[in-house]
Amino acid sequence: MQFLLTFRSLTYAQRAARVLERAGITGTVSRVPKAAATKGCAYCVIVAARHRDMAVGILTSAGLSPERTILRNPDGTLEVER
Amino acid sequence: MIYLDSAATTLQKPAAVRYAVSEAMRTMSSPGRGGYESAMLAADTVLDCRMALADLFCVRELEQVIFTSSATHGLNIAIRSLVKPGDRVVISGYEHNAVWRPLWGIGADIRVAASPLFRPEDAVAAFQKALPGAKAAVCCQVSNVFGYILPVEQIAALCRREGVPLIVDASQAAGSVGLDFEKLGCAFAAMPGHKGLMGPQGTGVLLCRDGDVEPLFYGGTGSVSQQAEMPAFLPDRLEPGTHNVPGIAGLLAGVRWLQGRTCAAVLDHERQLLEDFSQRLAGLDRVRLFKAEDPACQAGVLSVQLEGMDCEEAAEALAGRGIAVRAGLHCAPLAHETAGTLEQGTVRFSFSPFNTFQEVAAAAEAVGDILA
Repeated sequence: MQFLLTFRSLTYAQRAARVLERAGITGTVSRVPKAAATKGCAYCVIVAARHRDMAVGILTSAGLSPERTILRNPDGTLEVER
Repeated sequence: MIYLDSAATTLQKPAAVRYAVSEAMRTMSSPGRGGYESAMLAADTVLDCRMALADLFCVRELEQVIFTSSATHGLNIAIRSLVKPGDRVVISGYEHNAVWRPLWGIGADIRVAASPLFRPEDAVAAFQKALPGAKAAVCCQVSNVFGYILPVEQIAALCRREGVPLIVDASQAAGSVGLDFEKLGCAFAAMPGHKGLMGPQGTGVLLCRDGDVEPLFYGGTGSVSQQAEMPAFLPDRLEPGTHNVPGIAGLLAGVRWLQGRTCAAVLDHERQLLEDFSQRLAGLDRVRLFKAEDPACQAGVLSVQLEGMDCEEAAEALAGRGIAVRAGLHCAPLAHETAGTLEQGTVRFSFSPFNTFQEVAAAAEAVGDILA
């Protein structure tokens, strides 16, 4: 399972991925699936589900809180957390 | 050819710049338009360039670094964000048409804080007198005509005290004379990528204090696509359309080269060339040099007048001898008016980190030849 951490712009998503990388967490910048993009095009950082809490904590401390966190299940379905 | 027109565009660039441009054209598409490899490679390059520029100019947040197509583009955004018709705007007596014309076009009440050449204390006094009641101020960091380094730190402090937002035109300074954006506390700083930053033509940078800015262009940004309004956040608000990725890749290579060499070392080299060239010309009759007594007041740009010779004819004669310089008003009639050179114009010699003392000697000899 994976979590998608969404950001308002590509620049923020890239910054977030680099912050996570420095903390030893692999995050991949990607487009937010259309079904979950409420305002049109958006970007996210995809992290392994086990890293969700640590990643959100690190990003919040760095002033880069994700707009939403979305769980992507193994079957591809999405569950918006917040 | 001996190229001494780097105040217009640096022609000799680090080899890494050419390579970066070429590689970007081969491997990169458009950032913010897809999650595939070439788009993400482009996005990483754009982000890396933003980071390098933020580091070079001491900018707190990456989002404050905006890519433009030129300094003129950035100055237009800055001016249109701050100035409305009829607003009083104070500008130095050395501003380029990239400042004067947008202000005139808006219908601003332009007040020129004129002061003599190479007299920084007088420049501060002129701003102090003119600032009360102003809605904005604009000051170049270095005059593109005379290489005069204006006291922007003191002028910025005055503006902060008066609550007047300041726009700094760093076109001639970026890459040699340092700029600490955070410390300066100005509202905007605009600069081209193709001069001292060693990037390709078609690149520019605007540093913004905050997101309270008026877009000059409207269009797609790859973000919040379902709303008609431009995004409220930077950099997206000011960067619609496809980025100049090859240009930004080249600019990144130029900035990295500069960071390795340091701006201080570049300025020192250019000043040494200017000093050597000045000494050689001082031995010639009929040459008027616009040179600061205090070297700290001048960057690597020297204007001269050759007595009895039209400046354009002089530049043409020098071009015929393989020396590339610029003559005339240099798109800055205000600077010439302030310095008293509007009638004749000047011949401008401007140096880069790639110029050598041998080139300077040859250029001085050529000046002697055309005067003979």
